Amino acid sequence: MTTPDPRASIDLPSGVTLHPSQDEAIDRLLHDLLTRSPAKFILLAEASGQLLSALGKRSANDLVALGSLVAGDLAASQEIARLTEQSQNYHLILREASETNTFIAEAGAHLVLFVQVNKEVPLGWARMLIHETSRQLAAIVAARPEEVEKLDLGLSEEKINRLVGDGLDSILKG
Amino acid sequence: MHINWHLRELNLKIVYYGPALSGKTTNLEQIFARVDPSHRSDLVSLKTHEDRTLFFDFLQLELGRINNLTPKIHLYTVPGQSYYEASRRLVLRGADGVVFVADSSPEKANANIVAWQDMEMHLASFDLTIDQIPIVLQCNKQDIFGALPPVQIRQLLHIVQVPSLPAIANTGEGVFDTLKLITSSVITQLQHQTTVVEGEA
Repeated sequence: MTTPDPRASIDLPSGVTLHPSQDEAIDRLLHDLLTRSPAKFILLAEASGQLLSALGKRSANDLVALGSLVAGDLAASQEIARLTEQSQNYHLILREASETNTFIAEAGAHLVLFVQVNKEVPLGWARMLIHETSRQLAAIVAARPEEVEKLDLGLSEEKINRLVGDGLDSILKG
Repeated sequence: MHINWHLRELNLKIVYYGPALSGKTTNLEQIFARVDPSHRSDLVSLKTHEDRTLFFDFLQLELGRINNLTPKIHLYTVPGQSYYEASRRLVLRGADGVVFVADSSPEKANANIVAWQDMEMHLASFDLTIDQIPIVLQCNKQDIFGALPPVQIRQLLHIVQVPSLPAIANTGEGVFDTLKLITSSVITQLQHQTTVVEGEA
């Protein structure tokens, strides 16, 4: 494990573009983790809190809200580490409870992995699998896909304004 | 920003920033109350016992498709009180756009200036200036006696380019106009940025 510039883990940009091939590779990796650990529940979010994937027994109804909290939890923990000069790569938070252990792991600069396992699963085993999965997730996101699709929507600023305005009006009640 | 091409989703993060008690959480509460539940998440609020924002509030909205992409807008607020500076920086990380909610009360003029400078400092720590990220200035509490007009608040903050809107967030006035303006600005900028970057590659 290397110790980078303490600010590095915070200052990296969080913008991520996932392409189908990366999406499929991530999906395979998470299914593998779910089976091998075995985990009760897995959630993957982008570092700014956007939900990417969730597998297993869903204890939370609102996964989107959960994603924002998981990312906030890791971000706060990273900041505590930075302020206490203990900032390192692949930060991992462990919460032990009476029936379930919960891990929140940094998967590279862009992703956050949340894993819940039964108390019977050995901590060392779960920790090793989560570290390995985190590293592989980071590698998948870092790999540049062969074909890059432009975001270009082909719309003028005026048309974007109208579409966004209509889109927001259409989701209002009544 | 996160784009999932498989699901054709465009995820955007917009942060409501501003001094304490300026109405950041009220903006999200109004949006939450007025949007059809099938198009929004729960409103997550991490608050203190005194009902003040401790870490952040969060709400996701899902719009209809725009040219075959579904925009999902993630709205966050920061805690306004001065001692939550570290938390504000964390919430600001990865933001695609910022709504600065100013308090129009004359006695809060200095608090607005301090919060604006605080925001500039945090953006600078991410190598961003206020010219590089879409920002909308919302001049809230325009209904109170002696409220400063937007033009005067702009002068106080030395703002030239940033668009501004008057608002009375606790009645909902100006809340959706602000959201529309920042969302359009973010999508326009992202489209432009992505095209430029890839054109250079």
